Amino acid sequence: MSTPCPPPPPPQPSLQPNSPKGDLPPSVFTLPRTAQLEALFTIIRDKDTPRGDFIFYSDRIIRLLVEEGLNHLPVITKTVVTPTGSTYEGVGFEGKICGVSILRAGEAMEAGLREVCRSVRIGKILIQRDEETALPKLFYSKFPPDIARRYVLLLDPMLATGGSAMKAIQVLKENQVPEERIIFINLIASPEGLKTFCGTHPLVKVITGWIDQGLNEKAFIIPGLGDFGERRYCE
Amino acid sequence: MSTTLSRTVSMSRKDLGLREKDEELSVQSKKNTVLVSHGRPPWYGLDGTRINDAFVIGVAGGSASGKTHVARQIVKNLGFIPTVIILSQDSFYKRLDEEQSKLAHANQFDFDHPSAIDMPMFAACLADLKACKQSNIPIYSFAQHQRLEETQYLYGAAIIIAEGIMALQDPQLRELYDLKVFVQCDSDLMLARRISRDVEQRGRDVSGILEQYLRYVKPSFDNFVRPSAAYADIIVPGISNSVAIDLICTHVRQKLQERSNAFRPQMAIPKSHLLSQNPIPIEQLGLNILPSTRQTEGIFTILRDRDASHQDFIFFIDRLSTTLVEYALQFLPYLPHTVTTPVGAETEGKKVTCRYVCGVSIQRSGCVLERGFRRVINDVPMGTLLIQSNETNAEPLLLHAKLPLYIRLRHVAKETYVFLLDAQIGTGAAAFMSIRILLDHGVPQDHIVFVCFLVARKGGINILRKAFPHVKIVCGSVDNEMREGRLDGREGRKVWVMYPGMGQIGDRYYL
Repeated sequence: MSTPCPPPPPPQPSLQPNSPKGDLPPSVFTLPRTAQLEALFTIIRDKDTPRGDFIFYSDRIIRLLVEEGLNHLPVITKTVVTPTGSTYEGVGFEGKICGVSILRAGEAMEAGLREVCRSVRIGKILIQRDEETALPKLFYSKFPPDIARRYVLLLDPMLATGGSAMKAIQVLKENQVPEERIIFINLIASPEGLKTFCGTHPLVKVITGWIDQGLNEKAFIIPGLGDFGERRYCE
Repeated sequence: MSTTLSRTVSMSRKDLGLREKDEELSVQSKKNTVLVSHGRPPWYGLDGTRINDAFVIGVAGGSASGKTHVARQIVKNLGFIPTVIILSQDSFYKRLDEEQSKLAHANQFDFDHPSAIDMPMFAACLADLKACKQSNIPIYSFAQHQRLEETQYLYGAAIIIAEGIMALQDPQLRELYDLKVFVQCDSDLMLARRISRDVEQRGRDVSGILEQYLRYVKPSFDNFVRPSAAYADIIVPGISNSVAIDLICTHVRQKLQERSNAFRPQMAIPKSHLLSQNPIPIEQLGLNILPSTRQTEGIFTILRDRDASHQDFIFFIDRLSTTLVEYALQFLPYLPHTVTTPVGAETEGKKVTCRYVCGVSIQRSGCVLERGFRRVINDVPMGTLLIQSNETNAEPLLLHAKLPLYIRLRHVAKETYVFLLDAQIGTGAAAFMSIRILLDHGVPQDHIVFVCFLVARKGGINILRKAFPHVKIVCGSVDNEMREGRLDGREGRKVWVMYPGMGQIGDRYYL
């Protein structure tokens, strides 16, 4: 009864005027840059914003990002009968999903994910910098057993150098998740990080809330918002 | 600190003036009240403007002549009446300075002289109420002999009764009355009532009362009150006055009937305009429709499905309303704002610049949007309106209004942005009335954002748009038409139903 329908055009063109350079890879999608979104980011960027507000307003952005990410999942045509007895041609959701959060900051995005995707399964990855090699190293991972058959929403709030995100993609691929079924969701990305990431994993879709100016010498995003996990959990 | 429609719904239904004993206990609460019998029918026309003023009755008479009793009898006798406010002159005593206050506490201040009353304020409040606006009337404390800082909010009466010894004395007030009543009572009887009232309720001694009577009350009555009887349309005896009250009520009923006849055919929602063959083209309706994505399309499919489970329906309503309210927030004003981030970088962003934002949901189906609203705006006041349709002629009736302080205070309402929540705009009758209520309170049209899931293209939206072109309307989707029918195969009166629609959204969410 249901037939696959051609995917609608992407909800937002990938080349939003959200990048300082304006040359985004085609796999990058941003939220529309409205005054309201800018106001949300202004609140969470402000160093004087108290933790309660930081949590509330970052959750609002995360929900918008997850909603946007889900738009990249397939749908099929579906006809339903309404309570008034008329038929309605709509669409039905297709494909199972799961979330994977990169510890610890990525966990902060889980509440937002669960508000949009009820009781979604969530895997975890802990990646830390190896003190000897200075490279990201996998310390821990735990995934749903059928992750290879699911679409994966990878959660990490900040894409700075892209090191840990690329390591996470590598781990997912080792678990038989193909790149084209991974949607990487972050709040703020650096142009350098995006370039490296998309160059290495061109089929992974990247949903980002804002593309900032760049990185400082300590590899912090400028202007950024500081350490997301610290501000969300500790400060 | 207000007598709202809500508090009096239960009270008035039960007793409507029958509970005389309890009411005697508190002079203030007895005197400024809103009484509701069966809701308030539309007071505006198809173009959104007010057609009718409230009907104002002035009741004057000597102290303890029985003015309040007459006012109550009128309310009781009118029976099946719309909302009534009884407004007392006692609220409008002027602020006293320190010296006057000392005199007052020593019973040496003349409260019976017209100059003791703030007539311009009395007239201004009455004029606001007559024009169907809200009014925040002062509260006078007899214990402290002072006007209190707080005020009492009144709104939404079809009939206003203003009573007080000087109610007919001031020309500004007389201008506002549709009917002027003077309660005539024998002086001996008034004095007897006064002594018994002041001794019992105010704990005063007889000699003090008599002194005050001779010094202030009697001269005032002779010089100011009794002469004002000349302005009255009708003079009512202070006792055994049921015939006079019958006459008054017959007159009021007739006047109200004339008024409602004048506009009912125009506002006979929804038949006159629903089947209009030439609805406004959709792009000219000025709707802000949520951009369609795979996710919103999928959510609507689940919500429209009559076989959707109860859990699914609730979950996806909450998710869709969150998205809708996020989308609606673009209509708040934003200005550039620079902040410093924790890494020490300065960055220019934006900031919401309005000081007052609140939400108002239309019971019951508008409340299904509240959870989503709270996810997006967590710290603003929420108001509620209960609007039901009249069983016999489908006319909307306002049954209950509980509005946030931002809206109740007129000077704040002018700067307040209001998100009005309802599930859908079908006939548009409830949307129309709720917008009119906000405008009555002084909220500017372009500060109102109406948020709903569905709009019926051939429904009331066409007149709503013409009447209130500057109200922002945010909706999830547009359905084509309204048809007369019964929902879910229910028995009873036919209602207007949206096709293909989502059914009875409130029932599906709550029941």
